[in-house]
Amino acid sequence: MNRQIPSRRSRVGIIDLNSGNLLSIKTAIEKAGCEWQVVQQPRPELLTAVDVLVMPGQGRFAFVMNQIDQLGWREFLLEWCRNGKRLVGICVGMQVLFEGSDEDPEAAGLGLFTGRCQKLPHPKTPMVGWAQLSSLSQCMLAVGSQSESEQDANQTKPSSEAGFLASPKRREARFNVYAYFVNSFAIYENPFCTAKVNYGHEFCAAVQRGNLYGFQFHPEKSGRFGQELIQYVCQ
Amino acid sequence: MYVNNPDSNSDLTARVIPCLDVANGRVVKGTNFKQLVDMGDPVELAQMYEQQGADELIFLDIKASVDKQQSALDMVYQVATHLSIPFAVGGGIKTLDDVHRFFNAGADKVTLNTMAVEKPELINQISTQYGSQSIVVAIDVNIEADGELAIYTHGGSKKVATPYQQWVNEVVDRGAGEILLTAMHKDGTGSGFDTELLAAFGADFPVQVIASGGAKGPQDFLDAILAGADAVLAAGLFHRGEYTVREIKEFLINNNIKIRNI
Repeated sequence: MNRQIPSRRSRVGIIDLNSGNLLSIKTAIEKAGCEWQVVQQPRPELLTAVDVLVMPGQGRFAFVMNQIDQLGWREFLLEWCRNGKRLVGICVGMQVLFEGSDEDPEAAGLGLFTGRCQKLPHPKTPMVGWAQLSSLSQCMLAVGSQSESEQDANQTKPSSEAGFLASPKRREARFNVYAYFVNSFAIYENPFCTAKVNYGHEFCAAVQRGNLYGFQFHPEKSGRFGQELIQYVCQ
Repeated sequence: MYVNNPDSNSDLTARVIPCLDVANGRVVKGTNFKQLVDMGDPVELAQMYEQQGADELIFLDIKASVDKQQSALDMVYQVATHLSIPFAVGGGIKTLDDVHRFFNAGADKVTLNTMAVEKPELINQISTQYGSQSIVVAIDVNIEADGELAIYTHGGSKKVATPYQQWVNEVVDRGAGEILLTAMHKDGTGSGFDTELLAAFGADFPVQVIASGGAKGPQDFLDAILAGADAVLAAGLFHRGEYTVREIKEFLINNNIKIRNI
């Protein structure tokens, strides 16, 4: 789990599933000081050419899953994760890491996490807007403790909200961290949940298992916190 | 819904949204079309509001039809690459192609007013293709001399025959994700948002409502949220420097409203 301080710029592959504009995520990755390329289809050389794959997703679960299958990503992503390489799923890109979704029950997810997405029982859906993240036992602590040790090594103080995640004093408290959500479906519970949010029902705002990250919110639209999160998972 | 309460089933915060009127790629003071006062560069102002804690921004290009959109698209791209919060754009959108162009340039949402009335199927098309969260329908409503509510298009200059309540329901049925409700009879008066209109939506109303028109100070924002607004929008009060977004948000936080605190 301990990550080396990168000696070169991290190389990020942004998976283009034709499901929305990639401008914001590209901009955020660039601001994080990473190299990026947009990848439409999997190629074997990606295994060495790219350090991180980011999979944004917008729209219906079945549409995104269909793109994954049509473009040949399913086996590649499973192999990528078997090799312990880093994958970051955002919004529907997080949901497809699970087994399925009630949005499109016939579509099979990647099954990298167990569980299915369920509809949020709130009169106003989709959930659109900012919500404060709250912690579970593991709530982003893995992220926090890693960035903490990196910060210690760099002798820098936490500079902002994401820095607060690293501060042991903040761990017990509700994080003063807000993220921007746009979703009607969500994973209610998962053992790898790292942050929770309530909207009609409590759900997983973020999951992490090793190098596999999922964010139900949009870090690329979540202000400075989101920017630091992208920097953390991409570097 | 936005009052802090341990039993609440929602962590969503009420949003504070500065609105920027744009003409020829510059932010202008939109008093009327003849006397446009230059207020500055859209990207610089957008970044300033983001730093103040704005949750979202809305850009309304009041002269888009005149300059054929290119300056608006350039502005949207510049804003998108310099901002890390969501923003909506409106003004001069006539076709689904226009909508594609704004989304391609990096907008998160589009706002329709006149075209929503003239071509309501556009609401369905945008909602189907991009999701309801991407479409905000702006409804300009006025209390007429006889006390009835009437809706207007073309920047508030043309009255529409469709009854207000019928239009609100239709907009929701067609897939709008949010309603930007501007009370024309309050606009520029500084007498506060129309809380009666806002309260009529109720907690179970299926889409979010952005209150607009009439804000003079922090208490007006609080009243609108307590009445039921999901978001509050203001322009002049921010642009004239009377209040910063942060000051408004601090007031709301001190009054126990769920607000994104940065």
